[in-house]
Amino acid sequence: MSILVNKHTKVICQGITGAAGSFHTEQCLAYGTKMVGGVTPGKGGMVSEHGLPIFNTVKEAKDAVNPDATMIFVPPKFAAAAILEAEEAHIPLIICITEGIPILDMLKVKERFIKSKSRLIGPNCPGIITPDQCKIGIMPGYIHKPGKIGIVSRSGTLTYEAVWQTTKLGLGQTTCVGIGGDPTNGTNFIDVLKLFEKDPETEGILMIGEIGGDAEEQAAQWIKDHCSKKVAAFIAGKSAPPGRRMGHAGAIISNGKGGASDKIHALQRANVIVAMTPDKMGEAMREAFG
Amino acid sequence: MNIHEYQAKNILKRYGLPIHNFVVVEDKNAIDHAIAELGVDKAVVKVQVHAGGRGKAGGVKVAMNRADIKKHTANLLGMKLITKQTGPNGITCHKVMIADLADIEKEFYFGIIIDRDRAIPLIMSSREGGMEIEEVAEANPEKILKTPLTPSGEITDKQINEITDFMGWTGKTKNQGKEMIKSMVRAFMEIDGSILEINPLIEDSKGDLYILDAKISVDDNALYRQKDIQQMYDPTQGSKAEERAHELDLAYVAMDGNIGCMVNGAGLAMATMDIIAEKGGSPANFLDVGGGATKEKVIESFKIILSDPKVKGILVNIFGGIMKCDIIAEGVVAAVKEIKLKVPLVVRLEGTNVEQGKKIINESGLKVIAAEDLGDAAKKIVAEVRGK
Repeated sequence: MSILVNKHTKVICQGITGAAGSFHTEQCLAYGTKMVGGVTPGKGGMVSEHGLPIFNTVKEAKDAVNPDATMIFVPPKFAAAAILEAEEAHIPLIICITEGIPILDMLKVKERFIKSKSRLIGPNCPGIITPDQCKIGIMPGYIHKPGKIGIVSRSGTLTYEAVWQTTKLGLGQTTCVGIGGDPTNGTNFIDVLKLFEKDPETEGILMIGEIGGDAEEQAAQWIKDHCSKKVAAFIAGKSAPPGRRMGHAGAIISNGKGGASDKIHALQRANVIVAMTPDKMGEAMREAFG
Repeated sequence: MNIHEYQAKNILKRYGLPIHNFVVVEDKNAIDHAIAELGVDKAVVKVQVHAGGRGKAGGVKVAMNRADIKKHTANLLGMKLITKQTGPNGITCHKVMIADLADIEKEFYFGIIIDRDRAIPLIMSSREGGMEIEEVAEANPEKILKTPLTPSGEITDKQINEITDFMGWTGKTKNQGKEMIKSMVRAFMEIDGSILEINPLIEDSKGDLYILDAKISVDDNALYRQKDIQQMYDPTQGSKAEERAHELDLAYVAMDGNIGCMVNGAGLAMATMDIIAEKGGSPANFLDVGGGATKEKVIESFKIILSDPKVKGILVNIFGGIMKCDIIAEGVVAAVKEIKLKVPLVVRLEGTNVEQGKKIINESGLKVIAAEDLGDAAKKIVAEVRGK
């Protein structure tokens, strides 16, 4: 078992003819993902370099190949429109890799998803992977290994670090979800924690947070109240100075809020084992199993 | 992106908002001309820097005659302003605003921000103007009225009335207030604002409202469609290294330590700083080379890191995903050769094309210390820097 994606998941790529979209479609195909097509306006009817059919719109792709998921590599200017187009075409799972979408555009996207049956993951995220079954996104495939840990993270490369550590310790992963570094994202920690809680094969959950906002504190409260699985965590940004934005739009300690120590304490109060350094994330997970 | 007070006021004037006349002076020789142009005898003279707390730091002066206006303006031009927001190095003031002296009866606070959790723009209003709003929020949260807008920035007449009543405005003041609220919301949405803060918004003895100070910050991601605001970028407000990083679209934040870091991804970059600190070292910077880095960008990143004279060693930590390790390796090798690197360098590579990357570094013949994993990398660079 896994969450959200598996070997049957049919995927299209919006922006398949762009450099990043094309490269990562190839990487996903090589991993074994069931890529079934792509979308680039004006290139409908053509065939991609990977031999996949290209459509002008997501609706056309939906009618022709009925995808379960879409992977968006559209430039930031047009990315919000691409997400909304996928939602209108009723694609169940929409994964937006694009970084740098204007916040006002995202507010409109967020509003649409309140009543939507589709799920948005990202933007500004590495994507989602169920090892040896389905990779949708930019993560290096080889570091993953099927296993029993569900991983959810706000960061991209720090997720790879966590994955690699759990792989080396032989724990492996059920599914890894990057929810993205923007404060206004489609799917949050609690949404993913709920899915892992229901997945029988996920025995432990590793959650990677960072400074800024209070998503980790809210997740800690949910874990305390509802979670029956073993949970370990890491919070990045302990050494970050207040008031300076650390790369991600969401990663800033402002007015004394969003600091690492509050988040760590909230998680510890929920019986989560928190790794104190980023090289101990896998070990914290192992420790959670006792 | 932050802009100066005078730039914010110029934008708000376009929306018909009431602002006292002002002039901006950059050159000491132009002071007389500017004062004549403004044509007043009493004025407030304010440094134009990207930092709050200007008044407390001595950057705002009231002058009651033209001689004093000239004296204060001359003194403030070129002044190094140090506030709690600027850090110990301060920011040099290159521009000074001279504005009509306001007749202040009451001071209010009015701000619009994005509430990112609720995904809406939010208005904050308070009768406690002139104070730091964070302090009001801490001590007397009931003194702030929060008004949520729709995601597209709509506000109802009922909400506008709630704000004017909360401010205690009546008669013509209330009518002015209503128009101002509508205009400020429209401005915020149209300029892709992330912060619009009027502190204070004042009422004078005649019951007229004016914007006395204005702070605007615009969403960096939206600058492509805010060309006129993009032009307002002022490179003098950050350090040289920050200015260069901005040009290259790199996320760089200078810190106080001596270990330079080059990492891909913001989360991993923060985590790398954390582990350096945990192993007893001290990071000199946060630097995220991003996913689309080229060999040239890696070389430039090295130059930015080394422009900080405190740097006694560099740690490169790359977990390739979208970023390929061989590209980073080529950049590192080229940078070390071009710069003739004299400080120890520890490199840790993992992820996409890791084998090609390691090969490039091994075959370069350069003195690069390879690290196996993140813990090993941090330990090695801390030991190297200590050894010097």
